[in-house]
Amino acid sequence: MESMGKVLVINYEKCTGCRLCELVCAVMHDGISNPTRSRIKVMKWESEGLYIPMSCQQCQDAPCMNVCPVKAISRDEELGRLVIDYDVCIGCRSCVAVCPFGAMSFNSIDKKIFKCDLCDGDPQCVRFCEINAIEYVDADDVSLLKKKDAAERISIAGKEAAALAAQV
Amino acid sequence: MPLDRKIAYIDLTTGDIQTKPIPLDVRKKFLGGRGLDAYLLYNHTEKGCDPLGPKNTLMVSGGILTATCASATARTHIMAKSPLTGLLGSANMGGFFAPEMAWAGFHHLVIKGKAKHPVYIYIHNGEVEIRDARDIWGKSVTDSQWAIREDLGDQEVKSLVCGPAGENLVRFANVMTGIKNSGGRSGMGCVLGSKNLKAVAVRGTMDIKIARPKEALEYNKRFIDQIVSAKVNQTQGALGTPFIWGATNSWGGVRCRNFQYNQCEYADDIEPERIDEICEETMGKYHMTGCFGCQVHCRAQYKIPSGPYAGTYDEGPEYTSQGAFGGETDTPRAITVLTGNHLVNKFGMDNLETGSLISWAMELYELGIITSKETDGIDLKFGNDDAVIEMIDRICFRKGWLGDTLADGGIAASEKIGKNSFNYLIQVKGMSNLHSDERATPALALNIATGSRGSDHLRSRPAIDLYHLPEEVLRKIYSNPVPYDGPLSSEHTEYIGKPWQVFWQENCYMGVDCLGICKYHTTFLGATLPNFEDWSKVLYYNTGLEMNPEEIWDVAVRCNMIERLFNLREGLAREDLKKGDMLNHRYFDEPCRRGAIDVVGRKIDKKKFIQMIDEFYEHKGLDNNGIPKPETLKKLGLKNEPSHLV
Amino acid sequence: MTIEKEGLSTAESLRKTRTHGKFRCHNPTCMERIQPEKGKKTAKCPTCGMEYRVHWVNPQLPRIRGPVWEVNRKLAETKLKEMGVK
Repeated sequence: MESMGKVLVINYEKCTGCRLCELVCAVMHDGISNPTRSRIKVMKWESEGLYIPMSCQQCQDAPCMNVCPVKAISRDEELGRLVIDYDVCIGCRSCVAVCPFGAMSFNSIDKKIFKCDLCDGDPQCVRFCEINAIEYVDADDVSLLKKKDAAERISIAGKEAAALAAQV
Repeated sequence: MPLDRKIAYIDLTTGDIQTKPIPLDVRKKFLGGRGLDAYLLYNHTEKGCDPLGPKNTLMVSGGILTATCASATARTHIMAKSPLTGLLGSANMGGFFAPEMAWAGFHHLVIKGKAKHPVYIYIHNGEVEIRDARDIWGKSVTDSQWAIREDLGDQEVKSLVCGPAGENLVRFANVMTGIKNSGGRSGMGCVLGSKNLKAVAVRGTMDIKIARPKEALEYNKRFIDQIVSAKVNQTQGALGTPFIWGATNSWGGVRCRNFQYNQCEYADDIEPERIDEICEETMGKYHMTGCFGCQVHCRAQYKIPSGPYAGTYDEGPEYTSQGAFGGETDTPRAITVLTGNHLVNKFGMDNLETGSLISWAMELYELGIITSKETDGIDLKFGNDDAVIEMIDRICFRKGWLGDTLADGGIAASEKIGKNSFNYLIQVKGMSNLHSDERATPALALNIATGSRGSDHLRSRPAIDLYHLPEEVLRKIYSNPVPYDGPLSSEHTEYIGKPWQVFWQENCYMGVDCLGICKYHTTFLGATLPNFEDWSKVLYYNTGLEMNPEEIWDVAVRCNMIERLFNLREGLAREDLKKGDMLNHRYFDEPCRRGAIDVVGRKIDKKKFIQMIDEFYEHKGLDNNGIPKPETLKKLGLKNEPSHLV
Repeated sequence: MTIEKEGLSTAESLRKTRTHGKFRCHNPTCMERIQPEKGKKTAKCPTCGMEYRVHWVNPQLPRIRGPVWEVNRKLAETKLKEMGVK
């Protein structure tokens, strides 16, 4: 079976909200520090202490690709990502409008759309995130990892229930 | 040139706003952050100005590396003449403010005058605007920030604010940002309040160019690897700063019952592991958060588990809140620490000063120097949790005779209370000591006595002195980047060599404060963390500024001297108990009664202590009175201050 | 210039002196390295006799949680008596 390639997996519970991913993303791609240039963005609910990093999901049936009137967005099968051909792109921002995750952005300084390109296979957000809130894993393994997490929670809950039952 | 950054001069009386670049020669002399703030303060305030008057000048800044691709450059620095001490006022906080201000186009603000009614300053992509804050005045620290976001219709705005304590001119009110990041000491929030300045709000999307992006990125990674592999930072990342209080209390290095004991016994309920349990119970397994770009994530998240504030979200507590509302007052109960921490965060008030003054008042009450008449009937005994919580509220809102009196700070309060109350006040230069007890550690005692903003552990504390590092390791650290071949001792009870360590740390901490980096990323709690050599590289890769480690050291020495000049101009005198480099007599007279066997019985030898100060002055290039020698000023290029370069 | 010099900085080279799985006695003149038994909740310093409660940050990283209050209080009081402090 052919592998789907690797994908970014975000575990928002782990995110400390430091936004280092935003910083290194901008520096990696543009050589400039400016979070508005970042492909990843941490959304925050500060009064609850909740931080959720948002980035491109490299969708299979990608609305950005489908909506593009000049077919500037295509799938790179090797890295499992959607790429923009800037020679073709006319900067109409239709893709920005349709992306359900807000992951397609428009850079008003350079007047260009931009999105996560997985740093050509070495995502810097992953490399710098010491707590592993973002990981770069085989797409096939994602659900397996989630199954394991969920199973662990059930196991803990089971033990707690047993302990409670023992007390009664 | 990546160093194309600006200062805004804002006059709140006239509404005049001017924007100027920061010249490169000024950068080379003072770098940025606290160092450049000190220069600006010396140049932009008049001798003897009223700290609460329009002539006091408030500086807000980021470091020279703020918002670059260096690690953990989140620190915001705030400086003015202190309304608490009448000397240097200086506070430093983490969070997300300074980087946002940099992306909004400014690295330094110089704020003068007094607004006619409450206002806030809004800075957005190079534009500075003064806006009405009458509807925001009176709101808590967090509510003020959310109200500003509503007012501007932008949820990404970051603000630094003063809370109700600042508005009420509590002399030790904080400047705050986010939930709990506090520019905590010396009353900078009070200066905001006195200027009718509720907040400074920033939002920016401007580029900060990186001189050598590839190298900067790679070096950042190397820096982070170094930082997160340090044992001390791994523990910080798991337990937050409470682990420091726990360890220090274990060996007997914290104040309890004001200054009667050096250990808070049976403190199990406020030990770091217990606090961590509460955080986990209320916020889940992943409950640590951090400042901009930092991988240490030392800040815990919690909800108050019970009591009148049950369910309220807050961050911390830092070890300072444990010490202030648990140890000093001998109320080692998690609920008291967590509630106290929440209240000072909400009010925008220094937890260290608040806890210290409450525990001082408790000792006075037990001694009969103040009575239930002054306390409005509150039974202000040690161990009374409710009294601690009640007093926090009374101080912030200046309620009752005692609340109002303590809100003016320790020295003013001691003058009002009279009798021999001053003898029990544990302070230096008018600022209360933090909760630590330095009787067993001469190096640490020297640090708090000589700190430029008053009694303080973040100015020059050689914390690693307690690790008993082998002499060759100490020498490796302390003879870099400038040579030192004098004595060094691994023994923490010794007096020899300590003045050099304190002098070295003073310059190390000034270094990070100029760069805008957090102190957990340098030789503070860990001996293996980056300093001058590493900074030289980070500075070059990010800004293109070529400065070798020795040159960065020189900047730090110079900036510390400017702070000294400011203090001398405002009346610092070596042995003045209220305005000098001297400790409360109890350090010399009362031995430690608790803690590790070796700590028990220790006190500071006054004669040796004074010799240490002499030696420390010598390293700094000061004469016996603590005044810089002419050749020192010449060497540092400070002969003609104020020189008004910016 | 120095900036271009590669290799480890002083701080980086110092890191090599670290130990794992042990902590140092909190008695500052003692500072003996104590190796607590895996998973055990208290540890006694073999050199000076002070006793500590142990917290395991992770199975490899033990740290002192605090003193065993009664034991260390007694040691302190004996010392005070010896020194003749009231």
